[in-house]
Amino acid sequence: MREVQMDVAYYPGCSLHQSSQFYDLQTRRIFSELGVSLKEIEDWSCCGATSAGKFNDFLAVALPARNLGIAEQAGFKEMLIPCSGCYSSHLMSQTRLRHNIPLLHEINGELAFKVTNTLKLVNILELFLEAKDNGRFESKIVKKLTGLKPACYYGCMTRFAYDVPVSDNVENPQGMETLLDMMGAESRDWSYKTACCGASAAINDPDTAFNLMGKIMKNAVKRGCNCIVTTCPMCQLNLDAYQEKFCNKAGIYERLPVYFITELMGIAMGISLQEMNADRHFIDVFGLVKELELV
Amino acid sequence: MTISSTIYNPQSAKTLIDEVIERSSQNIYACYQCRRCASGCTVGEETGITPDVLIRLIITGNREEALDNALVWQCVSCYTCGTRCPNNIQSGRVTETLKKMSREEDVIPLNPNIAYFHDAFVQGCTRWGRVNEMEFMGYYELKNIGKHLINYQFKKAYDEIVLQIKLGASMFKQKRLHLKLHTSRGRKEVKQFYKMAMKKKTALKDDKKSGFGYRHV
Repeated sequence: MREVQMDVAYYPGCSLHQSSQFYDLQTRRIFSELGVSLKEIEDWSCCGATSAGKFNDFLAVALPARNLGIAEQAGFKEMLIPCSGCYSSHLMSQTRLRHNIPLLHEINGELAFKVTNTLKLVNILELFLEAKDNGRFESKIVKKLTGLKPACYYGCMTRFAYDVPVSDNVENPQGMETLLDMMGAESRDWSYKTACCGASAAINDPDTAFNLMGKIMKNAVKRGCNCIVTTCPMCQLNLDAYQEKFCNKAGIYERLPVYFITELMGIAMGISLQEMNADRHFIDVFGLVKELELV
Repeated sequence: MTISSTIYNPQSAKTLIDEVIERSSQNIYACYQCRRCASGCTVGEETGITPDVLIRLIITGNREEALDNALVWQCVSCYTCGTRCPNNIQSGRVTETLKKMSREEDVIPLNPNIAYFHDAFVQGCTRWGRVNEMEFMGYYELKNIGKHLINYQFKKAYDEIVLQIKLGASMFKQKRLHLKLHTSRGRKEVKQFYKMAMKKKTALKDDKKSGFGYRHV
């Protein structure tokens, strides 16, 4: 538990600077409200996502290593990575570099900022839960999310273990439920919380991806959820932008808004959705919260 | 798809197993075919072949089938198989390794789009240091549409263009499309990594062609 306020390094990643820019904005806003100061690391580069792993083993370790080095040499102890894809590729790189010293030397040979393997990587839920444990979050809640029945969708990348102990249960994570229930929502238990949305397959193999997303949606509707909540920009984009298509394909009539957890936390803290640029969703997110009189 | 996983080929088994184990760092000998990975496999329904079958193909030395099947290409890398495995085998790493091997050995991908996509992504991010969604999607679509045109499938090419324009337009409307070029000043390092990776790839290919089989590089 953090006694003295410390700066946390922040790696936004490419999608938080482009298609999910509003998630970047919300993350910064919520953390500043919670009193955590995020410092974006200097001149970061792309982590290669899952594509690098499918292209070349060396590249998959080397690309995230550059960012690890930058954060470590700037003196940070912790780095927040909100995007699940970036989080898992950095975690994978770090684990490989800890166990493969020759590879570490080879990669460090090319880097201006060397990797020392001292950085702790955290995902967004871990930091939120820490703020909750410190009591910083509870005092900020001004509005209870009564009537909201979210399906907490973690996706496959945050629970991905790869021999690294992750903070939550890999099969039935509870982090988002803990936060949402504290804000007064009634989160529903459901079966697809760690299922995969297909990620890039939505573009290069749409038939497969739409089937996967259809299954996720079907279960969420069946359990009586009225919205989906996620922390991953890829999951959010897929479930949101393609919802019309995969629902038509799977014969689902309902449409559910897909929130980022930061948006719901924002509502609970009294920040308006407009301030958080929430108009950038494909499926309307205002209707539900207005109906429940949360805003 | 018929799988000849029961036919044992001792000669090719040895080299295949060694290569897969070393490159994926997964001990596939530990697999006792409990099929928990199969029941959890996200794409098992689409592919008809699950991680357990893939591991059996490697152990029995069916090199061709192990490198050329639907799972190798359609695996979405969700790593569910690995979290369920009682012996801690990350089969997702195995399919990724097989994907790389199959490309090194010039096997024509069952779904070329997936290969185009990952190539376009990696080339995009190593060119600028950061991925530019518009740019790499452009490269990917050029390859994808080009493939249709080469095969005289003009209808398919047209449909693809219309589909992507619609997606682009809706992204633009929601202000989720960004035209500014994102770069990293230190992209020289990233480019150097790309060069090193390609060098390793060529060395691996040459090694295999010269008949030495797989050697760690």
